[in-house]
Amino acid sequence: MKILIVEDERSLALEIEAFMMKAFYLCDLAFTAKVAQQKMLDSKYDFILLDLGLPDLDGLRLLELAKKSCPDASYIILTARGDLEDRIKGLDLGADDYLAKPFSLLELQSRMQAITRRKSGLKDSMVPLGDFSVDLSKRVICFNNQVIDLSRKEYDLLSYMLLHKNRPLTRLQLSEHIWGNFADDDYDSNYIDVHVKNIRKKLTAFAPVEWLQTIRGVGYKIKVEA
Amino acid sequence: MKLIAKLTLFNTVSKLAIVLLFVSLLPLLVNEILSQYTNHYLRQQKEKVLAEVQQKGIDYYLQGQESYGSYTMLKEEYISLEPDANATYRDTIETSPRVIEDDTLSYRVLRHVFETSNKKYVLEVGRTTGTIGRYSQPLQRLALSVLTGLIFLTLLIDLVYTRIILKPLNTIISRRILNARFPFKDAAPPVKTTTSDFVYLDRCLVDLMKKIKDAFDKEREFTSNASHELMTPISILQNKFENLMVHGDVSEEIQEKILAMMNTLNRLKKIVRSLLLISRIENDQYAKTETINIYRMIGEVMDELSDRVEAKNLKLTIDIPLNMEVRGVNHDLIFQLFYNLINNAIRYNKENGSISIMAKKTQQGPCIVTVEDTGIGIQREELDTIFNRFKKSRRSSEDGYGLGLSIVKSIADYHSLDIQVSSVQEEGTTFIVGFP
Repeated sequence: MKILIVEDERSLALEIEAFMMKAFYLCDLAFTAKVAQQKMLDSKYDFILLDLGLPDLDGLRLLELAKKSCPDASYIILTARGDLEDRIKGLDLGADDYLAKPFSLLELQSRMQAITRRKSGLKDSMVPLGDFSVDLSKRVICFNNQVIDLSRKEYDLLSYMLLHKNRPLTRLQLSEHIWGNFADDDYDSNYIDVHVKNIRKKLTAFAPVEWLQTIRGVGYKIKVEA
Repeated sequence: MKLIAKLTLFNTVSKLAIVLLFVSLLPLLVNEILSQYTNHYLRQQKEKVLAEVQQKGIDYYLQGQESYGSYTMLKEEYISLEPDANATYRDTIETSPRVIEDDTLSYRVLRHVFETSNKKYVLEVGRTTGTIGRYSQPLQRLALSVLTGLIFLTLLIDLVYTRIILKPLNTIISRRILNARFPFKDAAPPVKTTTSDFVYLDRCLVDLMKKIKDAFDKEREFTSNASHELMTPISILQNKFENLMVHGDVSEEIQEKILAMMNTLNRLKKIVRSLLLISRIENDQYAKTETINIYRMIGEVMDELSDRVEAKNLKLTIDIPLNMEVRGVNHDLIFQLFYNLINNAIRYNKENGSISIMAKKTQQGPCIVTVEDTGIGIQREELDTIFNRFKKSRRSSEDGYGLGLSIVKSIADYHSLDIQVSSVQEEGTTFIVGFP
């Protein structure tokens, strides 16, 4: 998977690059629209992460032009302007998703994964997890083909941790994923504990879940062998 | 009261007062005129008689007799000449009774003494007061009807004229004030009028609106810029922390420290985001064009929050008519309003407590929605300030500044919703949202 990061704020672009490289993506950086357009002509990208506030060209205009030269790429708009109109215009122009800054890199990766799954329409989307298997397209977790009854939020939580497996996730990161902008400080984080407790209880009835670890003082982690 | 109504009322009342004054004075006036006229007439008659006497001598009347008297057929007028040696030269006009052929009648009498042929004569010319008063009634009636007609005519002219002259004012009011909706678009052309006061008023209003619009545009631009300027550094920090968290050299102890920093950063992010949201709402950046079904909306909110209701083992009652709708609102904002209210109802509730969400139609407006909980309640002295920004209250003391209710208030104001809160400490809180 190859990503073009179009972002004029260098240190932000570098952080995104560092994160994506760890997640085994190949990254190119463009700090201006001009460079971005050149790169789009030179190579093919799976994802183009597009900041709207570029110095030399309006991001939405760049999106319009880019859709012509790189029609197969998936576009995610990253913006700090937060104008509602931008969001609507961006999606109208063919962007696949829209993330308002500040966003979590984990959330960005999760959105990218969702887009990939949506676009490729993978039939075989069963991911093993300990003695269980997670069906990413049907959004359920099974034990020996038996579907385990998890609430929607419990499933969301589990699949988010699975996507970022072997990585400690804070309660905040988890609650932001579950409740988005409505997430409200420590108060919501406490509900993450409630949800994880429920997930543990429901799954342990079938098999042990030692892969779902609590990291004291931080949060949770799904630990599986790569 | 409208200016035109005031003017019309004043015109009518003042004219009515003049009519009343005139009517009360009319008999006096008419009688005065008639008496003046009669005096004049009597003097004229006197002059005629004296002229005759001068020309033709006193015997022309006396014809050898001592005295002379003559009266008209119905005794309306009489003339008499009598010698009187003791009479004083003094003309008098007075009303007094006279006996003529056994009839005692009241006359207006002019008495004149003159000397001719070395003899003093008294001339009396009289006219019955009945004859004098005869014209009083018709005169009064005529004057009254002419006056009434004239008054009505001037009233009508006044009314039409004030209407015409005040028309530009009405245009200014409707065009600039009643129909002007914030944010103001480009100003409509100046109102046509020759009244300089109105021209001035119109120009001032246009200027004022332009100033407001400029300030508004500036603020909107500022919000957009501030959002960009504030969010970008927060974004960089957040992503740096996220990457640092899984850096190979980081010990668990450091991880906890990073987590603490992330939490602080998150708090900053929340505050900035909430302020920007309020600012955007107050800057009118959300379209109010959607129609929402209240029942479905509450359902959407509960989808997000039902886990929490279960976790606290709360009893939830929802009583909302299925077809209740409100128009001209912003879906996302109303969602946020109810989310914040219901989230609070859960958050500040006690274990095994209850929440009831009810909606009903009222005669005044489309509907009111009530969110009632059995939570810890709000102190009486805090009730007035819970909607204020940055007002730290007992409710939010654990997690710093609570902007949730400020957002609720902004959304409610933006949609002209009426929002009321009542609370009994340790028993619960009730929020009532009234749609207009």
